[in-house]
Amino acid sequence: MAEAEESPGDPGTASPRPLMRDLKAVGKKFMHVLYPRKSNTLLRDWDLWGPLILCVTLALMLQRDSADSEKDGGPQFAEVFVIVWFGAVTITLNSKLLGGNISFFQSLCVLGYCILPLTVAMLICRLVLLAGPGPINFMVRLFVVIVMFAWSIVASTAFLADSQPPNRRALAVYPVFLFYFVISWMILTFTPQ
Amino acid sequence: TLNDDTEDVSLFDAEEETTNRPRKSKIRHPVASFFHLFFRVSAVVVYLLCEFLSSSFIACMVTIILLLSCDFWAVKNVTGRLMVGLRWWNHIDEDGKSHWVFESRKSSQENKTVSEAESRIFWLGLIACPVLWVIFAFSALFSFRIKWLAVVIMGVVLQGANLYGYIRCKVGSRKNLTSMATSYLGKQFLRQNTGDDQTS
Repeated sequence: MAEAEESPGDPGTASPRPLMRDLKAVGKKFMHVLYPRKSNTLLRDWDLWGPLILCVTLALMLQRDSADSEKDGGPQFAEVFVIVWFGAVTITLNSKLLGGNISFFQSLCVLGYCILPLTVAMLICRLVLLAGPGPINFMVRLFVVIVMFAWSIVASTAFLADSQPPNRRALAVYPVFLFYFVISWMILTFTPQ
Repeated sequence: TLNDDTEDVSLFDAEEETTNRPRKSKIRHPVASFFHLFFRVSAVVVYLLCEFLSSSFIACMVTIILLLSCDFWAVKNVTGRLMVGLRWWNHIDEDGKSHWVFESRKSSQENKTVSEAESRIFWLGLIACPVLWVIFAFSALFSFRIKWLAVVIMGVVLQGANLYGYIRCKVGSRKNLTSMATSYLGKQFLRQNTGDDQTS
């Protein structure tokens, strides 16, 4: 059962794992989120590097430039971290209690990677905000956030829905909806000052 | 499987009677040993000196997160295998069930024995840093520096995970952790008592 598919060579050696292989695996998972297909990659070879990168990027972009260096964005950074990870853990526990047959880390992996569209939305919103505030500005941002929110939901349910029995699927998907909704809300209501 | 052929090595090598194979005491992988300690110690140093190093809390936090991540990857995937011949990972089989695998290398060939110096460096770094992060967690909690709590908890989790994984590799799949701890404590107790009898 302990096959050495994890590292090359026979199980007797303990050769170090190449960095490029891990980086490529992370990149491949990002591609799978952008073009969601019925594939098992996110589930089978899970890793949490992608979610960590996305979380840090999102938290950095959600910083306000405040004149007061005393609270220079510290609490907001930690806030985003806590919301993302605590939310993901709660959803995972919820789906396990509903009888899903997905492991703890696999679920965290899927939820984390599917934040990618919303991170892209945050990037676009920041760029759009450089053009100055206004109603058109807001409409553009609203549209982008709604599209990316829908993309996140579709991507994550494509991976997660199969692990739940059919009559519980809505119960399992609803917290995911809420999770991405909160993140989208943070992105939409972000103003630089 | 791999574990059936490894000998029962206790957690604290220095106190056990050594086997008939002499353990080399020179460092065979200097780069790995350096990096094993570098990331962990840097993360601790940056955390302690953050006020002096940079006025930006964000910069310190991101640096610490980066160092903790590099350290986790390096210790789990490189230094454990090179320095002490242990590895652990998670494996998901076709039914979708997840298994945690803990392996230790058979030291059958002469050039693959674990060097004692490297083993000491490895375990020292592995055990000392999570303890430090736990102390930092309590200090942040009780002095109400809550904004640091997120990064400190991350330190505890990442470094604690490596510690737990490698201890399980070392202990092997046959014994469980509590019986091992009890037998070690029992041995210490016995040694102290027989020592006292001889001196009195």
